[in-house]
Amino acid sequence: MIELDVLSPADVALDGQPRAWRSPADKAQTSEAQALAQSEFHPAAFDADDLAGDGATSRRSFMKIMGASMALAGLTGCRRPAEEILPYARKPEAVIPGIPNYYATSMPMGGPAQGLLVKANEGRPTKVEGNPAHPANRGATDVFAQASVLNLYDPDRSRVVRQAGEATSSWRDFAAFARQVQTGGVQGTMAVLAEPNDSPTMARLRTQLAAAYPSLRWITYRALGDDNGALGTQQAFGRALRPAYDYANAAVVVSFDSDEMGPESLNGIANQRGLAASRRLTSRTDEISRIYVAESQMSPMGGLADHRLRMRAADIPHFAAAVAQRLGVGGGSAGSQAVAAMETVAPVLDALVADVREASGRVVFAAGAAQAPAVHALAAALNAQHGGEVVRYYDTGAGTVTPQDEALQVLVADMNAGQIGALLCLGTNPVYSAPAELGFAEAMANVPVTIHAGLHIDETAQAATWHLPLAHYLEQWGDGRAYDGTLSPIQPTIAPLYEDAHSDLEIVNLIATGRDASGYDLVRTTWRGQLSGPFEDAWRTVLHEGVLPATTYPVVQPAASAPNLSDLPVLAPDAMELVVRLSGQTYDGSYANNAWMQEVPEMVTKITWDNVAIMSPATADALGVNSTLRKGKQYVSVVRLQANGGDITLPAWVQPGHPDNSISVAAGYGRNLASDRVPPAKTIFQRFKLGYFDNDIYDDGPLANGIGANAAPLRPLGSRIAMLEQPTIVDEDYMIATTQDHGGLNVENATSAVEDRGIIRQTTLAAYAQGDDAAYDPIPLIEDVPWQEYPPVWGEERDAASDPRIAEAMYAENQWAMAIDLNACTGCNACVIACQSENNIQVVGKDQVSRGREMSWLRLDRYYMGDVDDPEMVTMPMLCQHCEYAPCEQVCPVNATVHSPDGINAMVYNRCVGTRYCANNCPYKVRRYNFYNWTQTLPVEVQMAQNPNVTVRFRGVMEKCTFCVHRIRYTQGIGHIEDRPMDDVVTACQQACPAEAIVFGDLKDPESAINAARRDDRNYAVLSYLNIKPRVTYHARVTNPNPALAGPVEIRGSYGGDEYGGGDGYGNDGYGGDGRSGTPAEGVVPGDAPAS
Amino acid sequence: MPQIFQRGANKLPALSLVGLLFGAVFVIGAVWYYFSPEFYEVGYMPDQPVPYSHRLHAGEFGMDCTYCHNHVMASEHSNVPATQTCMNCHTLIKAQSLDLLPVRESWATGEPVEWVRVHHLADYAHFSHAVHTNVGVGCETCHGRIDQMEVVYQAEPLSMGWCLECHRAPEEYLRPVEEVTTMGYSEMVRADEDTYQAYIAANLARIEAEGIKPPQNCSACHY
Repeated sequence: MIELDVLSPADVALDGQPRAWRSPADKAQTSEAQALAQSEFHPAAFDADDLAGDGATSRRSFMKIMGASMALAGLTGCRRPAEEILPYARKPEAVIPGIPNYYATSMPMGGPAQGLLVKANEGRPTKVEGNPAHPANRGATDVFAQASVLNLYDPDRSRVVRQAGEATSSWRDFAAFARQVQTGGVQGTMAVLAEPNDSPTMARLRTQLAAAYPSLRWITYRALGDDNGALGTQQAFGRALRPAYDYANAAVVVSFDSDEMGPESLNGIANQRGLAASRRLTSRTDEISRIYVAESQMSPMGGLADHRLRMRAADIPHFAAAVAQRLGVGGGSAGSQAVAAMETVAPVLDALVADVREASGRVVFAAGAAQAPAVHALAAALNAQHGGEVVRYYDTGAGTVTPQDEALQVLVADMNAGQIGALLCLGTNPVYSAPAELGFAEAMANVPVTIHAGLHIDETAQAATWHLPLAHYLEQWGDGRAYDGTLSPIQPTIAPLYEDAHSDLEIVNLIATGRDASGYDLVRTTWRGQLSGPFEDAWRTVLHEGVLPATTYPVVQPAASAPNLSDLPVLAPDAMELVVRLSGQTYDGSYANNAWMQEVPEMVTKITWDNVAIMSPATADALGVNSTLRKGKQYVSVVRLQANGGDITLPAWVQPGHPDNSISVAAGYGRNLASDRVPPAKTIFQRFKLGYFDNDIYDDGPLANGIGANAAPLRPLGSRIAMLEQPTIVDEDYMIATTQDHGGLNVENATSAVEDRGIIRQTTLAAYAQGDDAAYDPIPLIEDVPWQEYPPVWGEERDAASDPRIAEAMYAENQWAMAIDLNACTGCNACVIACQSENNIQVVGKDQVSRGREMSWLRLDRYYMGDVDDPEMVTMPMLCQHCEYAPCEQVCPVNATVHSPDGINAMVYNRCVGTRYCANNCPYKVRRYNFYNWTQTLPVEVQMAQNPNVTVRFRGVMEKCTFCVHRIRYTQGIGHIEDRPMDDVVTACQQACPAEAIVFGDLKDPESAINAARRDDRNYAVLSYLNIKPRVTYHARVTNPNPALAGPVEIRGSYGGDEYGGGDGYGNDGYGGDGRSGTPAEGVVPGDAPAS
Repeated sequence: MPQIFQRGANKLPALSLVGLLFGAVFVIGAVWYYFSPEFYEVGYMPDQPVPYSHRLHAGEFGMDCTYCHNHVMASEHSNVPATQTCMNCHTLIKAQSLDLLPVRESWATGEPVEWVRVHHLADYAHFSHAVHTNVGVGCETCHGRIDQMEVVYQAEPLSMGWCLECHRAPEEYLRPVEEVTTMGYSEMVRADEDTYQAYIAANLARIEAEGIKPPQNCSACHY
């Protein structure tokens, strides 16, 4: 057996405060937080008290469960049921059963379209990946594209045409009605509320519609109002342009409340890749960008920042004005003096201005979607002055844009006056998301014909006279343009699941011309004008490639005029604001019925299945909000929020780093969907009404209903920032299912053992450039000792290296490993959903998440550092580390988890009997146990989303990251047949990552990227001192604070150097004489050396 | 008072001990045999919707396996042929046969013929036909003498131990890739000792030359 060095608690300096912490409770080291961090399983995971669902285990409920179990035990079948094989009647030429087909298509969202490559198994799309040939996303995707495949299989999708709320109509009826309208015309104006869409075919059909209905009024409708970026550039340049930031070459980035990578950004993937590139370090002499962020809600952008200023959203325009004034742009604003003089702001402002002047030409100023157009105009003016080399603009040809909210206001007035004859809501849902003060729902009743087209029978569908089911983008023909203008086709990968479902193009065409043409013909008609040469050839090439090259918008760099900022409103310091933002999970509500997105922990709060009112610790105290951790579950107060005629109640969330007197709420919750779905007949388990077995999340109708509250109506017209009346507490003890304290690694036991285990490692660029490794590398990584040379685990006679069966085994010629760059990772969740989609990871529901039973194989641990009020934030992807001396393998009594010759820690589900010893012994807490049979109750539609190359797991087995072993084995199989090398294995998480933070490859190949990554000086292994030799390593994060500032957080100087030095024997033997172990940073005293 | 137990009862303890021993041996033996795939999997012969005869097509007519199972060299699944494949011939031959009614119905409606699956692999085990056929594992090695089956049944246990027999000693089972679909090849090479030794020697040479190393680790199939 391995002899581990024993660490004496006396050798370890202990000051009771973990350096990196996960929640305020964790920082305060409450006994609850310690209990949660100490055990592998969540305290509530085996809580017999609520097994019966009614809060108490009575003898009766125990008997009920056991009786049912015994009764059912006898009913299980003795023989496997007969299975059928259904071959094609007429086999499509391109389909070979067992070999997936990939189709290039694109996904429109918020206007631009992402280029995608969709994997279809026997005609059933199962996985979405980015199209590497697409210049805008280059193979990466965001979380929404990854999750979109589940929207296709949403069991609550609308299936039939409905008229006056009755599902008695068909598409044919609507077509007849549309023809009637087309020939007879409408009484009054025809109005369309359409989603933003850059499709050329839609633009063409729109002109046809305008020709057919001269009174047509077309309004582009966004759930949260105006496109402030377009309005701002219009102010600055006289016409609406799209900024294109070349982050990769930027030296200084200044963000005014802009999460350049989040759901609000239309160009998030390119921004994320660029920002990661600007922070990439390949050697100690590399330069990286410096990022200043002023933001209200903590976002991944704030996590990336070197200097983050927390500020109310209403104060940020004044901060921007102060920055501009110092740089000679504009004359400041009414509030800029006050903001600039704030104690926290003044030094950062000085440093920022100095940095901008020094790096002039390579500076990007970005303004957030929630900020007023004037801030965007100001950013444009600043960019014109200082961003000459890195800021360009795409001229989309939009010309002048009118503010959406003004147009809406006029529309509603006309609707009330009876002037609107017909209203078409094309994929939009204004009844749900329009500001409350508009009274949209009431106005709709005055319109004789209201037609709604959407994926769900949503709020607007229920109020409309006609509802048409919309085809999902994976079911339709269409086209779109990327953010940069690159044209890409949308081709279906499956026929519409429901006969009545039609694309938006087909609907608009039908209303405009009265002809029921297919989307295929409509798109081809448009593209005949786009393609040169023989059309069929060119068309097939475009469909194959997924893009039409060289179709980007013209790039311009016009002169900008500084906006007039003198009339920017000033919010009194003690007034409370409410900011409504698009959700990173449900977007504007269109992903609210997507189980993956409901369950993926929010990027910062790590909340699942809920919507919260986010506020700072100080504001929470002032309001009297309670937030306690009890038995591992988070309980909070519920607050009532009133603004602009809207009135909602939401649980309060105490968010470190949030500005005081500001509350942020995500849109996209509080849905009220209707569904045609008939839940399947109850199983015998459910008929017994045993809460214990009732784990079907799809059982109670649409998932989205009853979760959170709808915040969109609270925003005022023309803005996203509302003045909030004083919130009141209306309820206590609301349980929030947050994973922020799950799988805690950082504090083992605050009273007796290692206090800081060097899990998150971070240093500054200055220290790194000087070779001061002690600042981040207290426990050096073991040098690359070949795995054959490791001391045997089970004794010499059973040594892996000397056993020819293993040493010469197939697969031993590859040794897989992964490296993750913490400098690039932003915590965007794309990898988490990619993993979920690829590996058939099941969704467990809110109650189960609160018990720590979430199934995600890859989780994003978010850590804070520093003060509760204003911390730094780091995200760390945590997955099975595939330890070479895996502790899990050593305790499994049935050998269900073993090592493969290619270095993968494998799970053999057949053998697993569910003792969970492996999970107990896993120091990384990455093993997931199937407490229930989650797949048993999956609706048949959702079953179609499962990947046939990966098994679905049964109740009672353990599972975890497999390094996408099915992809490895598939490539090996192909390589075997075609006799080619194994150089193109890509894991699902790596494929999805827009920041290119994940490197995966073969250690046996000296030229491989993974070997280069592991040679990086920043490379370290988490918990390497346990001597378990993980195959996943991380690259320490390197920040670049301005030397003139003390740093955003006071980082303890030694960064653990003293704790792990001092001859505690740490790894002196265990590391195998690699020369790097021993005592780092001699003579460094904790708290002594400044970080910057 | 009469004796309740006769003298002979004195033997009862010994007899019951012996009986228990034999009983235990019998139960263990029964479980060993009857709970194994050799017993309850081999011979599984479900009724099929169409009385298709492999004996007739593959045996008498000598049609190659890959005429119908045409993706077996490319895909992990050996496909069951599309109705179209049947109709290549049966539009002309036996075009009126009642036995073929389900096939013609499928052809007319586009609905598949619902064949019953014969060969099940255990759950959580992955198997690729293409990887095996391309290296020279014959159809009959796993499926038996299909050319002699009127109705297809499972000829081999398809258990893990059975898989490993070959993975541990591939030289006893491999054949040249061009002989993969040949029926009766195994019997042929085992016809006499010299042929068999030559066969083993040829296989060993090929295994050496092509680096054939059948994996024996769990993660090769179980994931």
